[in-house]
Amino acid sequence: MGDEKIDKTIMIELSNTFKDAVSDVDVPSPNRAVARIDPGKVKEIMQFLLDNGFDHLSCISGVDYPPDKIEVVYHVTSYSAPLVITLKASVPRDDPKIDSLCGIYWNANWYERETYELYGIKFTDCPYMKVLLLIDEMEGEWPLRKDYAGYPDLT
Amino acid sequence: MTHEATQITSPPKPSEILLHLGPQHPLQPGPFLLDLKIEGETIREAELKIGYIHKGMEKVFEDRTYLQILPLTDRICYLASNSNNDVYCRGVEELLGIEPTDRAMYLRVITNELCRLQSHLLGIGEFTTDVGFLTMFIYMVREREGVVSLLEAITGSRLNHNYARFGGVANDLPPGYKEMALKTLGELKKQVKSHDAMLSSDSIYLRRTKGVGVLTAKEAGELGVAGPPLRAAGVEYDLRRMEPYLVYDDLDFKVITQTDGDVFARVKVRLLEMLESIYIIEQCLDQMPSGPYKQDVTPYITRPKSGEVYPRIEDPRGEMGMYIISDGSDKPYRFRIRGPAFATAQALPPLLVGTYVADVAAIAASMDSCTSEVDR
Amino acid sequence: MGIVEIYEIIMDTLVFIFATNPFSPWIRGVLGGLVIGAVFGGALVMVYLERKFLGDMQSRIGPNRVGGRFGVLQLIADAIKLFTKEDIIPAKADKWLFIGAPIVALTSGFLMVAVIPFDLLIIKGNEYAVAVSRMDISILYIEAVSGLAIFATFMAGWGSSSKYAVLAAFRNVAKMIGYEIPMGISILSVAVMAYSLDIVEIVEAQSSIWFIIAQPLGFVIFFIALLADVGRIPFDQTEAEEELVAGWATEYSGMRWGLAFFAEYLHAVVGSFIVTLIFLGGWNGLPFVGNLYIPGIFWVIAKTIIVMMLFIWIRAALPRYRIDQVIDIGWKVLIPLALLNLVWSTIIGLMWA
Repeated sequence: MGDEKIDKTIMIELSNTFKDAVSDVDVPSPNRAVARIDPGKVKEIMQFLLDNGFDHLSCISGVDYPPDKIEVVYHVTSYSAPLVITLKASVPRDDPKIDSLCGIYWNANWYERETYELYGIKFTDCPYMKVLLLIDEMEGEWPLRKDYAGYPDLT
Repeated sequence: MTHEATQITSPPKPSEILLHLGPQHPLQPGPFLLDLKIEGETIREAELKIGYIHKGMEKVFEDRTYLQILPLTDRICYLASNSNNDVYCRGVEELLGIEPTDRAMYLRVITNELCRLQSHLLGIGEFTTDVGFLTMFIYMVREREGVVSLLEAITGSRLNHNYARFGGVANDLPPGYKEMALKTLGELKKQVKSHDAMLSSDSIYLRRTKGVGVLTAKEAGELGVAGPPLRAAGVEYDLRRMEPYLVYDDLDFKVITQTDGDVFARVKVRLLEMLESIYIIEQCLDQMPSGPYKQDVTPYITRPKSGEVYPRIEDPRGEMGMYIISDGSDKPYRFRIRGPAFATAQALPPLLVGTYVADVAAIAASMDSCTSEVDR
Repeated sequence: MGIVEIYEIIMDTLVFIFATNPFSPWIRGVLGGLVIGAVFGGALVMVYLERKFLGDMQSRIGPNRVGGRFGVLQLIADAIKLFTKEDIIPAKADKWLFIGAPIVALTSGFLMVAVIPFDLLIIKGNEYAVAVSRMDISILYIEAVSGLAIFATFMAGWGSSSKYAVLAAFRNVAKMIGYEIPMGISILSVAVMAYSLDIVEIVEAQSSIWFIIAQPLGFVIFFIALLADVGRIPFDQTEAEEELVAGWATEYSGMRWGLAFFAEYLHAVVGSFIVTLIFLGGWNGLPFVGNLYIPGIFWVIAKTIIVMMLFIWIRAALPRYRIDQVIDIGWKVLIPLALLNLVWSTIIGLMWA
């Protein structure tokens, strides 16, 4: 907190530091920035952002793009600046796997559990990767994927 | 904070009891299951299980047109229905590339702040019953009645308002509204001040709330709590000031913070925020320009260009965001709701460890959770 | 013929019967029935007052449908509802403890009623207390019998095999152990001052000065301990709704719950009577009444209703303590103060003598 350079220059720094891992950097509006990241480097990138004052993980979402990929979207922002950085990591749809952020942002846990149960994205090293909102029997259904047919009515 | 603090890791020893608070319990604003492993009256471990009223809203919204979604956003949390309308409309407006009219912006600020007032009044009321102070709850509900009537006069409904529209609002103020509002709000201001004085001086209340459930500024930020609990810990994070939307830039108000981060501070923040909200509404009623309250052409079939937005506003409970991805059709491709109550609920179990059973009621209620929004 | 004359005639008749055979079990039985009925009615009055008076304080109306606009018949409607509800005994409950608990609670209340005097009649130099039974140690007896109520809560808590109920029962026992002591000591202070353990004697000793004036500290301690004893806000941790659902009565339903609920109000009423008798002068009237004859029973009942209202007022005005704070107050504040009060009352009592 209290870091002075919490503004868009972080995107330049980010793409300089992680030349291979960050691409498609875009700043659509004054308070928003978007970039695409390599799923293998997500922990390092997040640690870098945390060290640079982005101390607030606003949200983690999954977005399904059939037939081949699922995106994990991170919204990272700061308690002292309005800039929201949207980071997108594409993972293969048949075996979605990405590193967990629980060690970096404490509150990532529930968002990751939610994304896991709805999309089937496995967050490796997440301490408690079990269903959060759904009933236990629905693990493996991945209901928010676009091709989900619906849960059979068991009553 | 370790993640172990959010789980019950082992079965209870002979000296311990596993106490299930929920899914039905008088403490709760909605169904959730709070498992407590207690030894005597002390809580050793706590685990929060949610999802009892999971409605699958994000999936439902992918199958509705943009206009059909609008009334459904009310149902995310009925106490913050106006804010939810507003954040959704801001997202769609950004996708469509339109702006609400000036008057509509003021109207939205007024309804948002009224919404905050009634939410805080009920939140404090529920909190006070949970520390056994039923009278204050009744007083708060009495005060809320006036605020809800003010909302009803504008929006036509008392709970799920469905007021904001793309590029404007549903209707203008009724005639004579300003006098009515100023009268009610003046009365409310007096009452809030007197309740604040009462709650700050009652010795039993102070003993129940001071130093209970303390979150430091660092912990609060780390745990990701939102809204009044965050500001009570001393983090000056209010999106109305941080990322001014609508006309909050032109309005004069203070961001209320406290330093203690305990239960008392959270309630205090809400009480003082109500006074600020009243001040904001008074300014809006004074400054409001005349003019149209909605765009001349409201598109009924909304087909925004493909793109994505992440609008955020300061809901009564904190940072409310909606991540909307459009693929150019009349339905959103992906709709993600980032609710403040969800973020705050996650931080509840670590706070409970080491406290007493009686404090569970105080701490959980001071977070002003909304299960409907947590589960979505 | 006014109420006063009717009262005098009734009293004269009673006294005549007493005077002829004061120890006739039949007469004692009839009197006992009347007194129990009166206290039963008193508890009903307290429930009604609580709902109506609390409603007034909380700017709402309270019962207003059954029996006219003041809802006087609401309690009867509630009783009918409770009687017709299904009686559920949890499968894992200890059946006899579960059934026995409300009975024990009520019994303890009614046993206390037995020694409460309403008036003292003096005929031809003989004293006749208007009570079911006059004991030499009636205040000690009340202390002892009121302790039975703890067994009721513990039976209910343990017998209903619910975690909430068990926690509430533990809380209740912990609280009672802490609060019976200051209560006993302040009763002792009163007894020291009055030179007697008989409530009638204690009331008579207050004919010149009420004990609330002679030992105000004792009154405050006794009143707080009594609040804890009958489990009312701010000491209602045993049925703290937001923590333990309904405390030890969680698993009770229908009229069994009604009995448990009623037993609490009975204890509150008897507690109000005791406060009236040992601190507020009992049937000793206020000095400014002068020579106007007002029956002693009127004073007792009027003062009791004022004490009940005080109970309700406190309930409306205060939040609830946490259980550890309650026990702290009991052991660390009330007991030392009660001992101090005992010293004070002993000194004053000796000087008085």
